[in-house]
Formats: sequence, C-alpha cells, structure tokens
Amino acid sequence: MLLELKNIFKWVTVGGTRTFILKDVNLKVNEGDFISVMGPSGSGKSSLLNVIGMLDDFDEGEYHFLHESVHKMKEKQRSALYKQYIGFVFQAYHLIDELTVYENIETPLIYQDIKSSERKAMVADMLDRFQIVGKKDLFPTQLSGGQQQLVGIARALIGKPRLILADEPTGNLNSKQGEEIMELFKQLNKEGVTIIQVTHSEKNAEYGSRIIHLLDGRVEKDGL
Amino acid sequence: MIRNYIKVALRNLRRNKMYAALNVAGLGIGIACGLLIFMIIKYETSFDNFHRNSKQIYRIGTSFKGESGMWYSAGVCFPAAEALRMDFPQLEKVAGIFKRGQTIVSTGDAADAQRKKFNETNVYFAEPSFFEMFNFNWLAGKPQTALAEPGSIAITREIAEKYFGNWKFAMGQTLTFNNKDIYKINGVIEDVPVNTDFPLELVASYASLKNTGVSGNLNDWVSTYGSASVFVRLPESMTPEKFSKDLVSFSKRHKPAEYLNILVAQPLADIHFNSDFGNFNNRTFSKSLITAITLIGIFLIVIACVNFINLSTAQAVNRSKEVGVRKVMGSSRKQLAFQFISETAIITVFAALLAVILAINSLPLINILLEIKLSIASIPLSLLLTFLVGLIILVTLFSGVYPALIVSRFNPITALKNTMNAKAVGGLSLRRTLVILQFAIAHLLIIATLVVVGQTDYFHTASMGFTKAAILNVPVPDDSISRTKLQFLRNEFLKNPDIQGVAFSYNSPADNDTWNSDFRFDHATKSTNFSATLKWAEPDFFKVYNMEFVAARPYAASDTVAGYVVNETLLKKLGIRDPNLAIGKEINLWGERKANITGVVKDFNSTSLREPIGPVLMGAWKDLYQLASVHISPGKTKEAMDFIENTWNKTFPDYVYRYEFLDKKIDGFYRQENQLSSLYKLFAGIAIFISCLGLYGLVSFMAVQRVKEVGIRKVLGASVGNIIYLFCRELTILILVAFAIAAPVAWYFMHNWLQDFSYRIPLSASIFLVSIAGSLAIAWITVGYRSIKAAIINPVKSLRTE
Repeated sequence: MLLELKNIFKWVTVGGTRTFILKDVNLKVNEGDFISVMGPSGSGKSSLLNVIGMLDDFDEGEYHFLHESVHKMKEKQRSALYKQYIGFVFQAYHLIDELTVYENIETPLIYQDIKSSERKAMVADMLDRFQIVGKKDLFPTQLSGGQQQLVGIARALIGKPRLILADEPTGNLNSKQGEEIMELFKQLNKEGVTIIQVTHSEKNAEYGSRIIHLLDGRVEKDGL
Repeated sequence: MIRNYIKVALRNLRRNKMYAALNVAGLGIGIACGLLIFMIIKYETSFDNFHRNSKQIYRIGTSFKGESGMWYSAGVCFPAAEALRMDFPQLEKVAGIFKRGQTIVSTGDAADAQRKKFNETNVYFAEPSFFEMFNFNWLAGKPQTALAEPGSIAITREIAEKYFGNWKFAMGQTLTFNNKDIYKINGVIEDVPVNTDFPLELVASYASLKNTGVSGNLNDWVSTYGSASVFVRLPESMTPEKFSKDLVSFSKRHKPAEYLNILVAQPLADIHFNSDFGNFNNRTFSKSLITAITLIGIFLIVIACVNFINLSTAQAVNRSKEVGVRKVMGSSRKQLAFQFISETAIITVFAALLAVILAINSLPLINILLEIKLSIASIPLSLLLTFLVGLIILVTLFSGVYPALIVSRFNPITALKNTMNAKAVGGLSLRRTLVILQFAIAHLLIIATLVVVGQTDYFHTASMGFTKAAILNVPVPDDSISRTKLQFLRNEFLKNPDIQGVAFSYNSPADNDTWNSDFRFDHATKSTNFSATLKWAEPDFFKVYNMEFVAARPYAASDTVAGYVVNETLLKKLGIRDPNLAIGKEINLWGERKANITGVVKDFNSTSLREPIGPVLMGAWKDLYQLASVHISPGKTKEAMDFIENTWNKTFPDYVYRYEFLDKKIDGFYRQENQLSSLYKLFAGIAIFISCLGLYGLVSFMAVQRVKEVGIRKVLGASVGNIIYLFCRELTILILVAFAIAAPVAWYFMHNWLQDFSYRIPLSASIFLVSIAGSLAIAWITVGYRSIKAAIINPVKSLRTE
C-alpha cells in the first residue's frame, strides 16, 4: 500500500459555524493505481488532492504514507517526504515564467541537492523522452498550452516520484491536447507510477482504473 | 544553486525594469550619500594625524575671562615660547610660529629688471624646531641651518615653481617682503598635504621677527597675538592635566597681574574641530557638524532601505506564484529566503556600483560646497572598499531579511491561486510604520533645512546698523611714505562722479580683526571693568557707512585722537541713560590718548551676528589706517572698479592692488553656516526624493492590491476623483502622523542650534507649515499619477477572474 487516509476531516469556521470541506474521508491507494477523482465544484476534490500532496493540513484523522504517519509530522519532515515521492501537475501548468523549459524541469532536482552533472543528464533524458529538446531554451510564454503542460509533467517526473497528483491537468487544454496528455498518463501508469487525478470530464476519468466521486466533502462512490 | 538564483534574479530585474530602476536608484543614491559622508568624515578627521607622536603635541593658547564666559585665542604673547623652553626643560620640543598677514613678496632686489611681485597670504615665521615636531618634507636645505639666521627663508615647491619656474633654481635667491625686508632662500619644502591646518607656503626664520613690525612686542608679556602660536611636545611621562596646572603658575609668574590671562594647552587633535581657537587654515569642522552629517548619512541609508523593503514586499505579491511552485517542487523556507536575500544582494551590488559613480562625480560639488580638497586618493582604497562591502552587507541584511521572511512564509496553495493579499504579505501596518519613519526623517531634514537657510538668509539681509552694499574695501600700504599719499589718493578717487565717498580707517565696521582695550572714563582712577572694541577711522567713515548718531556729532578730522565717538552699548555699560550727558566727558586710553566724547553713534554690529553688540570706541589715528572704504554709485560698479584699480596702481606702483566688497567679507563670517545650509539643502532634497520613490512604490502596491476593490467601486458608481481620494486619504494621514512625530524633535534641535546666535530668526509656525504643506504637495503629486492610472482602469478588466 502506498498511502492510506483514515477518517479525514477538514473544516473552516466562519461566524461560529463549521463548514466541512472534507468529511470523514477514508481512502486506500495501492502502488500502480490510477485514480480519477470527480465531483461538482466545491465538493472538495482539490482539497483532497492538497491533503494527499501534504500541501495542506487537515483537522482530524490519520494519514499514512509508505507506513509513515504524516499527521504526526512537522512541516519540514512532510516537505522532505513529498519532495522525494510526489510529483505535482496543475491545471494552469504553474511553470516559473522567469525560467526556461530546461531550467523549469531542473528546479526540483536543485532542491533535492543533486549534483549539476547528474542534473544535466537527467534533464536531457527527460527532454528526449518528451521530444522537447528543441524547446529547451524557450520560456513558458513562448509555448502552447499543451506544450506547457508537457513541460509541467516532465518537471513532475524528473524526481522519479512514486505518486503523481494532477489537478485537472487538461482543464486548460483543447480536446486533442487533452487526449495526448491522458495517453501519456496511461503510459506512465503502465510503467509503474501511481497517479491520482482530479477531473470534470467523464471521458478523461475513464483513463483511470478507479473513480472516486465526492459530494460535499464526502466520498460518495469509490470504484469503477 | 546560487547560479540559478542569480539567473532568476537578473531575469526578474530585467522583466520588472520599473521596479528594478526604483530600487537601484533609491538604494544607489542612499549609498552614495553614505559613501560621500564617510569620505568627508574620514578626510576631516585625518587632519594633522600624520605627524610623529602627534598625540603628545599641544598648542599653547590663551584664555580670557569675558563678560559672557571664557573666550580663547590660539595665540600667545611673544616671549612665551622662549620662557616655556627655559621653565620646562623636560618638554621634548617647543616651537614658535607666527603667521603674518598679507605680504607683498618680490623676487630679486630693486635693481633686478625681471622683478616679479606677488601678493601672498600664507607667510610664516617659524623656529627650526617646528619642523622637528611636524613632518613636512624638505626637498633642499635643512631646517636647523636654513631657519637659524635672521633674513633666511624656506619656500614650498609650488611657490618656488611659481617664482622661478623650477624649484631647483630657488636655493640662494633673494625675496623682498613689502619692498623692505630681504630674505635669502635657504630651503625648499615639499608642498604640504591637503589635510593639514598648516598651509605653509613661505616660512621665514623666527629670528627674522626682530626686523618686522612686531619687533617692539617680542618681549611684551601683555599683548596676545592671535597668530603667534607655540607648539610643545610633552614627554610621555607628563600628563596634559599636570602641564595645564603648570601653565597656570607659569602665567602667574610671567604676566603682569592686571593683565593676567592664563595660558592653556590644546591638543593638536582638537585644532581642526574647535572653533573657539581656530587655526591657520581659518576653517574648522566642528564635532557637532560631524555628528550632524553622520546622522544625515544614517538617515538617508535608512530611508533608502525602508524604500526597498516597501517596494520588495509589494513586489512579492507578483512573485507569489513562483514561490508557490518552488515550494511545491520541494524548496524549503530557508532556501527560498536565501534566494530572495541573494536577489537583494544583487540589487544592492548594482546600487553600490551606481553609488560609486554618483559619489565620484559629485566630489567636485562637495569640494566647492565645503571648501575642501577631497579626492578618492585622500582615503586609503582598502578602507573605502571595506566600508563599501560592509555597507552592502548591512543594507542587504537590513532591507532583504524582512521581505525574504515574508515571502518564504507564503502558503503554497494560496500562493498558487494568486489570491495573495496585503495581509498575507506581512500586513500593511508594518509598511505604514515604515512610511511614517521615512517621512518623519524627511520632515526633520526639511525643517532643519528651512531653519538653517532662513538663518543664513538673515545673515545676508539683516541690518547691521551700517550700509554694507556697494562699498569696496581696498587695503592701502601701511608704511610711512605710502601714508603721505592717502590724501592724494582720496582726491583722485573723488574726481570720479561714480564715487560717492572715501574714508580711511584701521578696519571695517564689522571685522574679524578686533582690537579691544579697557580705558578710564571721566578722570576715574581705575580702568573700566570691561573692554571696548577700538576702531580707528576718519570722521568721513560715518558718512560712507551711513551710521546714525543718537547724540551730537563725529569728532573733527585730525591725524591723531582729538575726540571720541562711542556707541550706545558703551554708555549702557557705564550706566549712562541719556547719551547727551556723555558728550564732553573725557576718555583716557592707556594714559596717553586722552580726548572728550564728541558724539554717540547708534549701536551697530562690529562682529558677526553670532555675537551680541559690544561697546565700541572710535577715534582718529592716521598712523594706523590701512583700509580705504569706497562708496560706489549703484549701477556703476564695473566702471568705478576699473577706475579705482588704475588710480591705486598709479599711486602705489610698488604694491599689489587688492579689494573686497564689504558684503562679501561679511558673508565670510558665516562660512560654516553657509556650508551647513548647502549640505542640508542637498541632503534634504535627496531624502525627499528617495521618500517619494518609496511612496510611489507603496501606492503601486496598494493599487495592485486594490484593483478588484477599485473595480467594484467603479461599477457601483465611484468617480475617478473618489478613487484618487481613496488613495490619498491614507497617505495624508501617514504624513500627518510623521509630521506630529518629527515636528517636536525638529523644534528642539533647531531651537538649540539657534541659541548660538545673538541675532536669529524666530522659530515660527510658518516654517513648520511650509514643511507639512510642501511634503503633502510632493506626496500628492507622486501618488496622483499612480492613483489616476488605477482609477481609470476599466472595471470589466479588473473584475475578470480568469
């Protein structure tokens, strides 16, 4: 098992009343899973993803990642954990505008204290694999959306993560570009990477091996 | 990693040119001021610190008990030097040096066809031991032999080159002073460095003094000569306290009891800073002025740093996405903070480079303002670099740490959603505090500037009790042959219709050169318990200077004292209320100059406006006249001046013509105040400028923050004016708070400063009003542009969320 959420609650208190964002969420994810999370706006999809990604706190419950208790960790330990095992892909790509394609992909490696020569080799491999060698010196704004997302995925993969979290990865793309990205995810999953994606699109959700439906912070349906 | 940071930093700067320019400009100007002030202070504190054992060297001065406390002279009576040597054999060195006033120096002798004449001011008479105490290099000759005999002289390389083309030709040549005394050049001295208060040019042997006008006073223990200095070097075993005590008994032993003024020892290190004594350079740089400019320097750097903090925290909002991404990619807080601090460091280095360029280019201006000869070479390069690097580190930490901490604290999710707001970026309250600090400093400087400028203006314009405009002061030779030509000169001058009046006198109505003495009034047996300033002048003097009489009239024209004119203050001191009662009373000066009072002149300032008006006693004494005061018709200055010069040169062909406008001369009394005023003007201007840069940055920040609010308000019907009001209101409050803090502090300090002057401007409310109105106006203009830009954005654009 890669990770397990037990009775996770997350809420905000506004004017004395609690509004639940996540309500008693239980979830087990095995290595090699490809999970699609679906649900209407405000159902807590992104919050769930942020909690899994350790970017956000929760108020109650337990979270085990590779048999480590995330809920007992300090921020520093958590960040060391996700730095090593998790890659993120965003709807708005979130590339750093001031960095070139090459440098964007390189950034996570810098934070993992990998030597410069090794970084070079790893980034070159990644550029090769995604066939964007020719674009390595361009800045994000010089690329199309699909290409930017490709770079985003390359960046997420560079640290060889066990888990990829994708928040509506195709939300800003046209259908053809979206399809390509989803094919890529399928391919990656086959190679052994666990993927959890949030999506609105039934069609994209079908790529996953398991679909979780959220409503008002609750898991309404878990399975195919 | 660092390379990556530098790359990002440079790209960021390039992308946000406006922001980068504001930051580099603000910091650069701040650092440039810091650098300049550091150089000025280093320069001023380096004066005469290069002499061997300089800490043991003391100047002997004289203290006088005046009515308003003690006052001091840098000089002594002539016999003091020799007596000190005799009475204190344990002193390592004793050296007398006398500075003589303007001297006409001619090369060769009268028979020489190529004879050249020069008017020199830096002419000294020194004992050989002076050069054993002070490290001035000799290019030719040795002080021990060159300055041993009467009639020998040493000159500096510059003078030698001026007179003879090459200093090597100078040895053995003769010079003549004032067409009388002949000196043989026995030595050539290397030009003295700029950082000395001994601007030596011609140094004759001390023994030659017996051939000069002061020969009669060489054994006189009563008269103190302000320019007759004695320097001593104490042995290490002797403390200055002990020596000062010894000087008291020394003074009592030698000076006549009724003229007992105690000699005091002043450390060499104090000479450049203490205006009570002054120095041969006639320029002191007070310790309080050093404190003042140090504070200004610190203020300016703080203002610049505050600016930077404001601008970069504002800018941080735009960088929130990058911060979020980096955090998600695994950057730790420490790494992010380090990244932002290194960006600050890069900006600071750019600013420092700009600062060096600015500082070097403004050195000539500073040199003119302060009348100094500062150059990059005057400060050791290693010291400058250490200071600069230190400043870069300090500024980087001071201005970089806070924004870096704020930025690295961002929550990655909010950061990525681009919903950062003012609160998340450290709250506006800190930025508000910083703006208040900035403007409080700016207000302080503005008020100080207004007061100093007001006071110096007052010095220029205040009535001193006599006319000072359009009066030319022309020195006349003081030898007996020349004096016989004075009447002729006057008649020649008066032939020109543009010349309204001519009077000869000892000095001008307000003069640096004062002569004071007590006297006996109305056949009293004892002298007065105060001394009056003596002014010797022809009766026409009162007419030329348009001085009013409150009783009777000037004395009659004569060659020697035939009547006295006194001023109102003198009568007050004597306890006489009605000036008319003083007329006809006798005044007896030294038992030899007896005459009756013929008139009482209205009080006028006989020294600078710093001092209160003192008692003045005036009479005729032709043998002392050395100055012609010429009143020129307005508008005819040029023609009249040419005429005066020609006439003078025809009358005294053996002398060099000089002149000075009286108002210029009086301006010279206030050199230090004028310098202070120009420094303040410069630095206050810079402070305001940097503060405005900061304001602009802050308002830009607010505008970015409030784009949505502005959009909503506009949709709801707000006009452009309403929006501008929104932005200006807060700023106005901040400036008013800053003013409330700064005004009392400024009042306190400037009130104290003004106490130094007997005649001063009132610290009126208008100064404070001008300060607040001025800064508000400037701030509104700065903010206006940015807020108009924010106000005219189409709300459709600003309210779009995607």
